[in-house]
Amino acid sequence: MRGFRVELQQLSKRFGQVEALRELSLDIRPGELVALLGPSGCGKTTALLLISGIYRPSAGRILFDNRPVEHLHPKDRDIGMVFQSYALYPHMTLRENIAFPLRLKRLGAKEVRERVERVATLLGIAELLERRPAEVSGGQQQRAALARALVKEPGLLLLDEPLSNLDARVRLQARTEIRRLQLQLGVTTILVTHDQAEALAMADRIAVLAGGRLQQYDVPEALYRRPANTFVAHFIGDPPMNLYRGQFTPEGLVGEVRWPLPSGGRPPFLGEGFLGIRPEDLTVVPAEAPEGIRGRVLLREALGREVLLTLALEGGGQVRALVPGGAPYRPGDVVGVRYAIEALHFFDPEGRRVGNGDAPVRGT
Amino acid sequence: MRGFWVRLFFLGPAGVLVLLFFLLPVVLTLFLSLTDLSTVTFSQPRVVGLANYLELLRDPSFPLILKNTLKYVALTLAFNVFMGLFLALSTNLLPDRLGEAFRALWLLPRITASVVYVLIWQGIAATAPYGLLSQVTGVSVNWIQQYPWAAVILANGFVGASFGMLLFSAAIKAIPTELFWAAAVDGAGIKATVRYVVLPLLRWPILFVTTYQTLSLLTSFEYILLLTDGGPGFYTTEVWALYAYHLAFSNYYGNARFGLGAAMAAILVLVGLLVSLLYLRLFNFRHLLEVPRIEVE
Amino acid sequence: MMPRTRFWPLLAFGLFVLSLPLLAGYLWLLVSAFSFQVHGLKPMGGLTLEHWRFLLEPIGQRPPIGRVLLNSFVYALGVAFLVVLASSMAAYALSRLAFRGRGFYLGLVLVLHAFPAVSLLIGIFYVLQLLGLFDTLAGVILVQASLFLPLGIWLMKGFFDAIPWDLERAALVDGASRWIFFLRIALPLVRPGLFALGTFVFIAAWGEFILPYTLIVSSRAWTLALYLQSLLGAVDLADYGLVAAVGLFYLLPVLVLFLVGQRFLLTIYGGGVKG
Repeated sequence: MRGFRVELQQLSKRFGQVEALRELSLDIRPGELVALLGPSGCGKTTALLLISGIYRPSAGRILFDNRPVEHLHPKDRDIGMVFQSYALYPHMTLRENIAFPLRLKRLGAKEVRERVERVATLLGIAELLERRPAEVSGGQQQRAALARALVKEPGLLLLDEPLSNLDARVRLQARTEIRRLQLQLGVTTILVTHDQAEALAMADRIAVLAGGRLQQYDVPEALYRRPANTFVAHFIGDPPMNLYRGQFTPEGLVGEVRWPLPSGGRPPFLGEGFLGIRPEDLTVVPAEAPEGIRGRVLLREALGREVLLTLALEGGGQVRALVPGGAPYRPGDVVGVRYAIEALHFFDPEGRRVGNGDAPVRGT
Repeated sequence: MRGFWVRLFFLGPAGVLVLLFFLLPVVLTLFLSLTDLSTVTFSQPRVVGLANYLELLRDPSFPLILKNTLKYVALTLAFNVFMGLFLALSTNLLPDRLGEAFRALWLLPRITASVVYVLIWQGIAATAPYGLLSQVTGVSVNWIQQYPWAAVILANGFVGASFGMLLFSAAIKAIPTELFWAAAVDGAGIKATVRYVVLPLLRWPILFVTTYQTLSLLTSFEYILLLTDGGPGFYTTEVWALYAYHLAFSNYYGNARFGLGAAMAAILVLVGLLVSLLYLRLFNFRHLLEVPRIEVE
Repeated sequence: MMPRTRFWPLLAFGLFVLSLPLLAGYLWLLVSAFSFQVHGLKPMGGLTLEHWRFLLEPIGQRPPIGRVLLNSFVYALGVAFLVVLASSMAAYALSRLAFRGRGFYLGLVLVLHAFPAVSLLIGIFYVLQLLGLFDTLAGVILVQASLFLPLGIWLMKGFFDAIPWDLERAALVDGASRWIFFLRIALPLVRPGLFALGTFVFIAAWGEFILPYTLIVSSRAWTLALYLQSLLGAVDLADYGLVAAVGLFYLLPVLVLFLVGQRFLLTIYGGGVKG
């Protein structure tokens, strides 16, 4: 199987007065898995429906391998699609479901049979072919939907929140399987999801969308370490980054919180802006230790491997810090918080990133 | 372009039928009402403007017909709605199977062919020794001839009540059980529950049934035709729709007067249109218009 | 689900009493069809099958029952088939296809639905004359079907509305056209609706009187309704047995259909008219 190169050029869609998607431009390499990530209503599903041909664009172009396809009917685009609800035809067996696209192409019965069984075996549902969708589990339905999408060996695979209907346990497994399958087949894939962990785990590159606009398009690490704006900074990473609005003075940030910079540190600019630091980049130390911001523990959430502490800072405001599982701090304790200046993220008043430095991955 | 043919294909059959047998007749009825078309003038009708309408207004039986129509609609409507409500409420208070059995029984008149239904009425209402009613009450009369209005209203009512019964019943079944539990906890007995929980929730269905059946009764005449044919005597139970039908199709006068009948029908058509539009407004048409989520054909 | 009340047996009894006239009526029909004479509900002079002679020989100048029965059957079946076909296609378009003026057509269907179709008889009469279909079974079938379309479209639209959009999108991506989706996926999914509509229309058309009465003149095209009605006027009270027998005969198929398909029909009657 080969994969298309997919290009979106200034793709826009409006419904009446509402602009669901604004000038989205993306370049996706053959065989790549790109995630469209964002909260609900951000336009990612709209983008997918435009790429599949179910919606017509208000403006912009879509190219598969340099061929414009925006005027083509879905059936002529050579794509496979898996919907959030799987959309299996309830009155047909799984075999008939998977065979459907091939039947429509008027392929011979023998060839249809072979291809259906091949793809079913690939997805591990070969023994379930005679069952109806209602008679198999959610995970199996999802695999059947995938089989149906892949049986015609498309150049592009579209996945609309394929994992959100699965149980948490099954989800993790499915995540790995889909990625492995995709790499094996080499089919270009576009995945829509609102789950940032999913996107980070599966995608070669991620396009973050909000309010119909592209926020950032890059590899997962770049989104994590160099978020282009406060939206991406807050959206990526779990638990989310601590973000504060305020005024940058030579000593640090004054606003929602009083955040002094460590000695020798200076903010990249003065005046209004945002400051961000990830909970995992903070170290909690006993109050007496030097070089720390003092605070009192308000909340302790045990997450197993780690502990999430919510602290009330001495100068005002709150911060969340992620500490190793055994940390002894309890609500009411007074502690110190330490961090490296490289771990700070600075944003201008419009939320855009300032400064080029890489934030370190973890800790100081 | 392709979309056009797809639409035409799907809407075609229904479209043609509706055009020929709904829209065209409406136009024709309106047009014919302005002519003097009758069996006598069939090949050479003349346009007479509003002459038919004037003739109707001057017809001495006209006020009687009007009165009959209003009486018929009002009384039958009352029966339909109240009986329908009663049936729905009571059958839903019974164990499921029993309730269903009663509802099925009351559905019988509706599914029975009108001719058979009227036949049964005639059999029961006959004079002694044949008619059950005469036997039971000891009074031997033809009950239909003797009490034509009661017969007309009840005969239509038994059929009409099932409409409300079904709609109200469906609405009652849709009430979440928790509401009843909450009412019980609050201390409501069956009467209070019906009064404060069920009836308020039935307001829309009641309104719907009332408006729908008003329209339906204004234009119905089949059972009256079969039962009394507008009699006994001269126009005792003749309603508007029946009069129009008689004018156009019966041979009372030896000359079926289509133009005149059409005038009466035209008024009915206009009333029908008005009430339908009102009723569209009332029942919030917009929320039925869900937007399609596929844009290609 | 309303709660049970302690007094339900009382209520049931009350309902029973109210329903007595109904029960009496149908009982009378049954008894009369098989008795020489009936006084009240009592058969006098024993039971007989003599009234059922209409099955074997024509009554007076009327056509043989076989012909009439066939006409009724063709009529009801024809109407049902036409309505189901045209309604489902139009309903699909109104429910699932995006086009300008959709709101208008939907509104039109609603208006027609609430419309007094019977008041159009005079106009319909004229149209049939123009088309040369007056006094033909085919003509009445077309008219009857048209009058049921608003209800049919209304009902089927509800069923089509319930089909998930993703299913149709998946079919389009799989390579189906709207027509293929309609035929191979949508129709099977709305099968209960099709059956309910078909059954309802069949029953209604089977019992229809006014339309055939007005639009058919020749007795060879008579349906059972007209046949029975011709007997009603012509027969003496004492001889009602014959009429009752014909009436029972006429009623039977519907009764059977009703008992068998009861659940179905209750859904369509209840949900068929959407406010």
